[in-house]
Amino acid sequence: MIDAVLQTLLNGAASGGVYALVALGYTLVFSVLGVINFALGALFSLGGYVTYLLMGGRISANGALPGWGLPLGLPFTPALLLAALLTGLASLLVERLAFAPLRRRGAEPLLYLITSLGAGLVLVNLLQMLMGAEGYAFPATALAGLPDALQVAGARIRSVQVLLLAVCTAAVIALTLWLERSRSGRALKAVAEDATTARLLGIDSEAMLRLAFLLSGALAGLGGGLIGVSISLPGPYMGIGYGLKGLAVLVLGGLGSVPGAIAGGLLMGLAEALVPADASGWRDALAFAILFLVLLLRPRGLLGRRQVEKV
Amino acid sequence: MIDHGLLVQMLIGALLGISVYLPLATGQLSLATPAFYAVGGTLAALLSTRWAALGARVDGSFPLPSFLLELVLGGALAGLLALLVGRLVLRLQGIYLAIATIALVEIVRVAILNLPFTGGAVGIFGIPQPFPTAAGYLPPALALLLLAGWVCQRLEVMALGRAMAAVREDELAARCMGIATTRVKLSAFVLSAVLAGSTGALAAHFLNTWNARQGSFDTAVTMLAFVILGGSRSWLGPVLGGLLLTALPELLRPVGDVRLVLFGLVILLGPALFPQGLVTPALLERLGRWGEGSRP
Repeated sequence: MIDAVLQTLLNGAASGGVYALVALGYTLVFSVLGVINFALGALFSLGGYVTYLLMGGRISANGALPGWGLPLGLPFTPALLLAALLTGLASLLVERLAFAPLRRRGAEPLLYLITSLGAGLVLVNLLQMLMGAEGYAFPATALAGLPDALQVAGARIRSVQVLLLAVCTAAVIALTLWLERSRSGRALKAVAEDATTARLLGIDSEAMLRLAFLLSGALAGLGGGLIGVSISLPGPYMGIGYGLKGLAVLVLGGLGSVPGAIAGGLLMGLAEALVPADASGWRDALAFAILFLVLLLRPRGLLGRRQVEKV
Repeated sequence: MIDHGLLVQMLIGALLGISVYLPLATGQLSLATPAFYAVGGTLAALLSTRWAALGARVDGSFPLPSFLLELVLGGALAGLLALLVGRLVLRLQGIYLAIATIALVEIVRVAILNLPFTGGAVGIFGIPQPFPTAAGYLPPALALLLLAGWVCQRLEVMALGRAMAAVREDELAARCMGIATTRVKLSAFVLSAVLAGSTGALAAHFLNTWNARQGSFDTAVTMLAFVILGGSRSWLGPVLGGLLLTALPELLRPVGDVRLVLFGLVILLGPALFPQGLVTPALLERLGRWGEGSRP
């Protein structure tokens, strides 16, 4: 009994951690640019596939390349970190193609929504073309050295979930420390607060914007790799669902709020884990039902700042 | 040889484009159209396959009056839902409204997937056909589009349409002028839902099967692209965008798997190339009286 309770809570916290990563990915870009990067879900998928390939995973690309794989087999940790970096670079490319042309023109925010969704569509369909629509499972040896289950307080729990939670926590702590303590992190916060003033203070706001995209993509890539190894890669569309959940978490916590994204993620993960198994089909609607309620009761999110409309 | 099925699909795309355009004409970004489309389609699929009184025959044919009744019922149910939901969500602004409507789309999708009577992942199939061929769907789809276009055109000279434009340009100023902004936004939202619901009912018969995938986040995005690439300043924009962007993936079919990548590229690069859409205010000016009322 205690096993089941502990495992349920841990499952919730682990998936909540991944939701928080995605929500933080949105938050970074939103705080600097004031728009939502809808390509983030596709970047999440990319992170999963790149981790899989870097670890020597085989693909068949709809039968076009049966048994093809990269001639390397990195262990999980370097593969995950490298995949996060590569996904971050892909995110920079998204910025260049979907955001930069509109920014130079001073276009209305609505257009960013379309172009970033277009970028996501291109990415997901490229993955589908190159990797195939079929799902892939990471090799059983992917987490060699990690025991299947851990004994905690007399209860046996799955260690993959512990790993997930640990990596997410580490990433969130690193990000928070960087934002609060480092020079570049503070510069990013300054740009988020007021881009014009930041520019007058000599902060290169363009560089900060690119940094925000890089980190945002890396967080999504990290999430994709973690979900891939703990569950599987069900297909190139895997990231879309996580992208949408991240959006729900983002609003739940309040747009642009870092602690809000973390708290919202954990809350959402735990709420989902508590859905009984025989109603699991409805689990995917829970996040959005919660989101709906929060929007109606507190339109600025749980930890969001209130804005006053001026004439 | 013209592919009638493709033409019907294009008309459905144009109808859904208008449905996304209507709330946008009051400055509200709502992505709820796929939810209302799914509600209308599911109602039609359920009624025609489960309710014998509508007169579905064993050979798979279906009486025309029942089909028309379903178009009305699909629109009415969607409109009713919009009336209930709209009161709540239209208090939200900007991106919050967009996300709330995405949430609505997801809730409706999961509900259709899990309700005991909507056929789960497979959906409802063998929906009876009021017309023997795809070409038969052209007149009702065209009639629905003309009706929607006529309503939009009439709106331009009606108090409601003018109030919609005022709310789009400056909601606060409109409210100060004594315009009941919430009522105006709600009217546009309900009109949009009625149109999407009727279109869903038509599409359910046309497609012959109906499942939860018909109304997803992806479709919401594609429909928004109809409006943005077509032009969001007049209802002619989403019609043009809907016709072209529905045809594009089908016309690209010969190039194989690359087609969806190319489709994505069009959505990715289109707004930078045509920031005002294909039907620009300047073009409307030249169209003369017909487009005159459409300008803000």
